[in-house]
Amino acid sequence: MTGNGNLLTRRLDVLRGIDRPTFDVLLADPAWHDGLGATDAASLVDLLAQVASEASDAALALASRLGDLIATVPDPNGLRKWALHGLQRHQHHPKARLRYFERDDPRPFADQESDADSADLLARRAALQAYLGGFGVVTHGIELHEPQATGQPPPAPALADDVIRFPRRCAVTSTQADRAALYRASIAHIAAHLRHSPLARLAGSRRPMLLATIALIEDARVERLMLRDYPGLRSLWGVFHTATRETAGFDYAGLAARLARALHDPAYVDSNAWVQKGRALFEDAAATDLQDVAAFEAVGRQLAIDVEKMRLPLLPSYRPQPPYRDDNALLWNMNAALPLDDEATAPREDYEFRSRDQLPADLSNVDVDTRRRTRHPEWDHRLDALREDWTTVIESGPAAYRGAVNRFAQKPVRRVRGLEQTPDRSIRLNRLAEGDELDLTAAVDGAIQQRSRLAPDGRIFRRHGRRHRATAVVLLMDLSVSTRRFVPGSFTTVLEAEKRAARVVAQALDSGRDRVAVHGFSSNGRHEVNYQRIKDFDEPFGAEQQSRLAALQGSLSTRMGAALRHASAALVGQTVDHKVILMLTDGEPSDVDVVEDEHLVEDARHAVASAAAQGIRTFCLTLDRQADAYVRRIFGSRNYLIADRADALAGHTGDALVRLVAH
Amino acid sequence: MNPSLQPYLIEREPYYRAAGNEVALFAAAFARGLPMMLKGPTGCGKTRFIEHMAWRLKRPLITLACNEDMAASDLVGRYLLDVQGTVWHDGPLTTAVRHGAICYLDEVVEARQDTTVVIHPLTDERRMLPLDKRGELVKAHPDFRLVVSYNPGYQSVAKDMKPSTRQRFGAIDFDFPAPALETEVVAHESGVNPALALQLVKIAEQSRALRGRGLDEGISTRMLVHAGALIAEGIGVHDACALAMTTPITDDRDLLVALAGFVEAQFGPRR
Repeated sequence: MTGNGNLLTRRLDVLRGIDRPTFDVLLADPAWHDGLGATDAASLVDLLAQVASEASDAALALASRLGDLIATVPDPNGLRKWALHGLQRHQHHPKARLRYFERDDPRPFADQESDADSADLLARRAALQAYLGGFGVVTHGIELHEPQATGQPPPAPALADDVIRFPRRCAVTSTQADRAALYRASIAHIAAHLRHSPLARLAGSRRPMLLATIALIEDARVERLMLRDYPGLRSLWGVFHTATRETAGFDYAGLAARLARALHDPAYVDSNAWVQKGRALFEDAAATDLQDVAAFEAVGRQLAIDVEKMRLPLLPSYRPQPPYRDDNALLWNMNAALPLDDEATAPREDYEFRSRDQLPADLSNVDVDTRRRTRHPEWDHRLDALREDWTTVIESGPAAYRGAVNRFAQKPVRRVRGLEQTPDRSIRLNRLAEGDELDLTAAVDGAIQQRSRLAPDGRIFRRHGRRHRATAVVLLMDLSVSTRRFVPGSFTTVLEAEKRAARVVAQALDSGRDRVAVHGFSSNGRHEVNYQRIKDFDEPFGAEQQSRLAALQGSLSTRMGAALRHASAALVGQTVDHKVILMLTDGEPSDVDVVEDEHLVEDARHAVASAAAQGIRTFCLTLDRQADAYVRRIFGSRNYLIADRADALAGHTGDALVRLVAH
Repeated sequence: MNPSLQPYLIEREPYYRAAGNEVALFAAAFARGLPMMLKGPTGCGKTRFIEHMAWRLKRPLITLACNEDMAASDLVGRYLLDVQGTVWHDGPLTTAVRHGAICYLDEVVEARQDTTVVIHPLTDERRMLPLDKRGELVKAHPDFRLVVSYNPGYQSVAKDMKPSTRQRFGAIDFDFPAPALETEVVAHESGVNPALALQLVKIAEQSRALRGRGLDEGISTRMLVHAGALIAEGIGVHDACALAMTTPITDDRDLLVALAGFVEAQFGPRR
């Protein structure tokens, strides 16, 4: 058997350890991995194990239809995206989650084209948001629609209360420039609605055909109004008005597209009587008053009656044309509004009705969890994508640690020295013996003294001063269960060594200039990454903080990436020249709900890279002698140090700090 | 008037289109001898306004652009050497005080706070300037006026005026003029027709909506005038807007795309 085959066996063993029933189902029908390479098969088993660690019923459902799924979606990454989407979206709704894994269609997630289109839109999002802001609309964000089943036509852009949703697949598939123009056209059109349309009119009992026709006229009206202020939009929108008698046809959608073009483009000639009538009625109303909504509604009504006389049906696939126009749902208040996606209709399972005897007898004894929760993303290196809001960091409030005894002996405090300074033009040093430029006043004084035959003072130069650069350091302590171990060859536990190092750092830096925080973390699956602020930036390293430090206990596991992201978030708000995260750990990242070898290492690497992008340096000190392999990957080749003795850790930490701060 | 101030007199009327009653307000404060502070975003016409007022009131105008390295002696003057020995040279402020001119300190918050303190004795009832190095007390000429300007938008917290300095001034708040006025200004200054000037103003309005959302300042009237002048000389509108308006204002790719979109919303896609 090859090495990769061994890999599959190993992964299957892991799965058996987590969830025996799923494993049995998988083995009962071994046909599922026939067409797959061993690596792909192993990654699917990993996926099953991941699902199983969160919801075993869902894993069972997934395993039992795995063969079918692979037949429809040959791309394991598509399947992976689909499964992770389900886990994340329905994390609080077990029933909906099970339903998702039993029935939902993963094909949209394997659609490469819409993937590329979505990525393209997201890359343009900031620019489009600024473009939207230029029209005075600052209340709406830009998002993507939920994935759509393949085969259906892509939805139109949609406007909700505070968000504009674009389809995942772009209607114009040719060049980049066209695509950007389509997005801009959409946004300008939606901005026109927001400026000029009365929103959420009561639809009442109006038929869909009538609503669609009134909306068509309304689209043309608001665009006409918008053109008064922004005449260049005419040619931007004009590019997409391509309907003709030959291309658009004679059904309702075709006629509507031709009317839209006729209302947009005065030069367009159409022989159809309905289109001509629509144009004439519209221009009549426009000549009187473009702001008169009722008059235009009458035009739409008239045209709708004519269409119905022609017995043209409104097909369910109808979308307002051209494709930049939104679905006009914003114009109507349907009372029971049609859902945009099933999120809105998903049963609310947050609330559960319990029978009376299950209620706790005395509600005053129920603890309310007030701990602060923050969501962070996690990097999935197989998908090359961030899983948004995947982990939850829970911060415990300042608990009372007063019982703990401060067992640190008071040693002389070591100060970090040799820190470089940075030039600062606002500090000016005058009358120097040497410097960058002449101090004019001193030079004149010197010359005067010389002429009056006094010994001149030679200090006639000046230069800018320098100041210390301020640094903010977060010392991040690994508080996982493994820190209870003794460091090999000593009688000190890893945690004790970490505490000593923390104390050195907290006391070493000048509190007048630099800011130090000591934080610790331990994790229990992705929903519970515990984060403790032993000493925060604004606190002194006083008796309370010292006893908090002394009271720390090692427990649970090490989800490094989430902790690094949380520490970065704490540092981002600091206004200092240097921002540093100093990580103290004793081993590889790991967590109870992750079975893949590389996942957390790659995630931590991504967290380090994102911190660097925000101007935060990370450095790792580890007591694991075998740490080379993963520490270098996570932190980079020069940003780690392996301490092999417990008593050396504190010293190394101080040195590392000097190196980091002096750079 | 002292002949040394002759070069500082403004001979031809600088164009200024009043947006409100600022001309009357300034003239009244001027008659009262009150030091004035002109606030407003960059390129909205503060400097043009003071030039216009100097011309209108027939007073010489001594302008000084303030910077961080400016010392008090750069304002009041210093001893220099010549063949005979030392000579005192009046600084621009002292010149204005002695002979009666308007001293205009542009971007006054750029100067360090301890520098600007030298204007304190000039700006209260005393109206005098002590020259300690020279042992001289210069009584201000009755025609001397002090005017400062600054942009409250982008100064950092560290760069601000001391309250003791602020409270000596009267102030007029400037902003970009209303669209119709701004169109008039752009058309007059650049020579483009009013319809095109209005389109330029619309682009600027859209960019000003992004103030604080990525842009520190929107496109200013001055930039519009530059763009308009380029168009009047025969440069294409898209090129002129890119050169004079959108490209200088930001380095952010996404914002540049949005700004190009605003140009497109007026003049259509670039051919």
